[in-house]
Amino acid sequence: MDEFQEILQDFLIESFELVEKLDEDLVELESNPEDLELLNGIFRVAHTVKGASSFLNFDVLTHLTHHMEDVLNKARHGELLITPDIMDVILESIDLMKALLNTIRDTSTDGGIDVSACVVKLDKVSGGTGDVQSPVVEAAPVEETPVAEEVTAEVAEDEPDYDNMSPDDLEAEIERLLQERQEEDKQKRAAKIAAGEDVVSLEPDEAVEEETPEPTPEPVATTPVPVTPTPAPVATQAPKGDAKAAAPAKKAATVEQTIRVDVKRLDHLMNLIGELVLAKNRLIKINDDVEERYEGEEFLEELNQVVSIVSLVTTDLQIAVMKTRMLPIGKVFNKFPRMIRDLTRELNKKMELQISGEETELDKSIVEEVGDPLVHIIRNSCDHGIEIPEVRVAAGKEETGTIKLKAYNEGNQIVIQIDDDGKGLDAEMLKAKSVEKGLITITEADAMSDKEAFGLIFKPGFSTAATVTNVSGRGVGMDVVKTNIEKVNGIIDIESEVGVGTSMKLKIPLTLAIIQALLVGVQEEHYAIPLASVLETVRISKDEIYTVEGRSVMRLREEVLSLVHIGDIFEVERILDSSEHAYVVVLGLGTSKLGLIVDTLVGQEEIVIKSLGDYLKGIEGVAGATIRGDGGVTLIVDVIALMDIARNVKSTVMTDNSSAAQLTLEKSKASDYCVMIVDDSKTDRTIMRKALEPLGITLVEAVDGQEALNILKAGDHNFDAMLVDIEMPRMDGYTLATEIKKYNRYKNLPLIAVTSRTGKSDRMRGVESGMVEYITKPYSADYLSSVVQRNVNFKAEFL
Amino acid sequence: MSDKLKQIISKQGQHESNDGISHSDDVVQLVGFIIGEEEYAVPILAIQEIIKPFPWTRVPQVPKYVVGVFNMRGAVIPLIDLRLKFGLPALKQGDETRFIVMRYGDDIAGFVIDRLTMAIRIKKTDIGPAPDTINGDDTMIDGVGKQEDRIITILKVDKLLERDF
Repeated sequence: MDEFQEILQDFLIESFELVEKLDEDLVELESNPEDLELLNGIFRVAHTVKGASSFLNFDVLTHLTHHMEDVLNKARHGELLITPDIMDVILESIDLMKALLNTIRDTSTDGGIDVSACVVKLDKVSGGTGDVQSPVVEAAPVEETPVAEEVTAEVAEDEPDYDNMSPDDLEAEIERLLQERQEEDKQKRAAKIAAGEDVVSLEPDEAVEEETPEPTPEPVATTPVPVTPTPAPVATQAPKGDAKAAAPAKKAATVEQTIRVDVKRLDHLMNLIGELVLAKNRLIKINDDVEERYEGEEFLEELNQVVSIVSLVTTDLQIAVMKTRMLPIGKVFNKFPRMIRDLTRELNKKMELQISGEETELDKSIVEEVGDPLVHIIRNSCDHGIEIPEVRVAAGKEETGTIKLKAYNEGNQIVIQIDDDGKGLDAEMLKAKSVEKGLITITEADAMSDKEAFGLIFKPGFSTAATVTNVSGRGVGMDVVKTNIEKVNGIIDIESEVGVGTSMKLKIPLTLAIIQALLVGVQEEHYAIPLASVLETVRISKDEIYTVEGRSVMRLREEVLSLVHIGDIFEVERILDSSEHAYVVVLGLGTSKLGLIVDTLVGQEEIVIKSLGDYLKGIEGVAGATIRGDGGVTLIVDVIALMDIARNVKSTVMTDNSSAAQLTLEKSKASDYCVMIVDDSKTDRTIMRKALEPLGITLVEAVDGQEALNILKAGDHNFDAMLVDIEMPRMDGYTLATEIKKYNRYKNLPLIAVTSRTGKSDRMRGVESGMVEYITKPYSADYLSSVVQRNVNFKAEFL
Repeated sequence: MSDKLKQIISKQGQHESNDGISHSDDVVQLVGFIIGEEEYAVPILAIQEIIKPFPWTRVPQVPKYVVGVFNMRGAVIPLIDLRLKFGLPALKQGDETRFIVMRYGDDIAGFVIDRLTMAIRIKKTDIGPAPDTINGDDTMIDGVGKQEDRIITILKVDKLLERDF
């Protein structure tokens, strides 16, 4: 019944669209009656509507369109010139057609409208007979036909213009046509019962009627039998009638209003939304900053409200636009029943396909990508999974194998599940085959879990089929599955039990353009990892990392997880000293897992994927870039590529070669020494400068911690020591010291606190943050000078 | 746009009145800039914009001269250091450093240059071919322009934007 409704919906949408166009075309045709192109187009509309409506058992509509088709066909073959009079008739018929379509939309039946008058006119125009029985008559028992004949014959006699044929001949002709028509109806019904798809082939052969040299008695406007089809007679006509009659109550008046839109426009819209999401992220960040700075201020609440509304609306908008791009996965599933039927015959197996969740929606671009993989998986299940009937019976299973194709939503993902109750995957056999084919080594095979072994079927060149059949066995298909699914950031999960069956889950993100990502930090850089590939994150200390055969691994519950440092993959310069702790992001892709060591976890964020452009495309391990709330660019990790790279990366994580790469250049003159003075007071800076100038060393000044840090980072000077005030705006001396000590390069840089704080706890804090000396104000110039000299190892000869 | 450029443009105006070069098709408009010791130029129409340096993001696994990517109003654009590309030692970016964003067809990239010089109008007849020593199609040099006492190397934008790694 649902299937019928679906077809009905499609039919209505299509028909309304066609009729819409028809009006335009007809108007143009009137001014341009010779235009064959136009005529053909109009003819096709009538033809299409007729074909579809006859398939759907809308006899009144079929009846009407059939006659329209006749007229138009004549016109198109040049046998009829479209005069304004004829055009009136055609337009009238189109109005009727519209009315019928509306009725169908509202009630799912085409009753209640009298088309006979118009049909008669049409018939007259096409030079037809009095064959204008309404559909009820056609479908009615044969006994009724004589009545119709009688009337028409009578009418025919009344018409002097067409009396070039004897009443007997006329009757014979009508009889013949009626039989033909009944034959057609039978065929139609038979076809409907078979529920065939090919509508066109089911159409009555109109050529027969067109070519018949029909006498043209003009029937009077009073039609032989009034057209009053009700659902009841329809129901008796065809088995489908039940469905039709029952349906309207529930699903009446649910034609979706649709507009066809160029995909490019949607893409553009999606891009704009992407920009908006970025701006929203930025706004949220600014809001956070403002909140921090102006805590407790009244306007904050208002700002907060606006920000929440903007972010809410943006999210809704994004979802709404995403939805416009969504297609039901049924579009892909539809072709599988046929495929299974063919395969059943080809492979001599008994198989049944059960489809559910076909209404689950996916982004258009993804729907296009999953078609091929599904074909391969299902073929594979049929060929390798389901056993031949004898084997199945012997194993105590049903003779008919079942393949279940299921789609459903799971969080931000769509899961497409393909289950078969076949023989299942044999991990040991898969391993043996792979070793035999040289895809893996014996040691690798031994270390493999069953799940990993199942993943072997996706290796290029792998096939378990003993012989290459038409269906599979070339070792290409499943490889395609993996590539295509990974292309849309999907993951594959296989579960299987020998003798019971295999279950394959394809987990695919809803959309490609905007994704949830985990942002991680390494040194001073940030990277975004698609959250769909992240299984979990773990905080570990360094001694939890072991080295096996030159590669880092860790124990994660019962498993051994291989590790790779993100810094090794992206050639990140080690500026900062690595801390005792690190985070491991456990990445899962298909059946393989990898632990990615990062320095910090920044958080989860919605990101918009942007391409790096032609110039930088194809960088290994980078899937694209995104723009963050602060306007900066963050690279997105390509998890698939990362897994490949990881295999070849030698870990250097734990080989702690942070031998404080301090450039101790040989000092050849006093000015080679360089000292930074950090103080927010100009007077204090001048006092220090005056005290140190006599030494002839280079002095650099900074007004606060932040500036000092920036100067250090810029790396223009090689500082030998720093004089640091404690009380400073933006960044105080303690924080500055802590920050500086994070850098390998400045680990051993002497930091001298120069402050008026004399408390013991202040001194303690100074030591804690890494200050080597503590000078309290006021101090003598000589004292300062001597402390600096001592700390920079000033050579006496320069004095 | 920067004051510098305004200056250049006004200076340009004076030049124009002096040399009296007409707006005919025989004149090529270029923007000149310095990298290292040399003055280079690219057609003005190939330039999308000239901006002051701002933060960029490093990209792994690319040659040194591709310093990274940056965000130009929502577009992610590669940034190429022409000093490094031309084999000169790296130099700290200073006050005069600019990013010139150039476009050729769909290709777009930003280029780090040491400083801008001026917009140049030069007669086509004053542009000579690239020196013979530079071989064939591979050259980035479109021609050499002569103006008064200066020699300006005119670069091919399409070659600059071509990925060569």
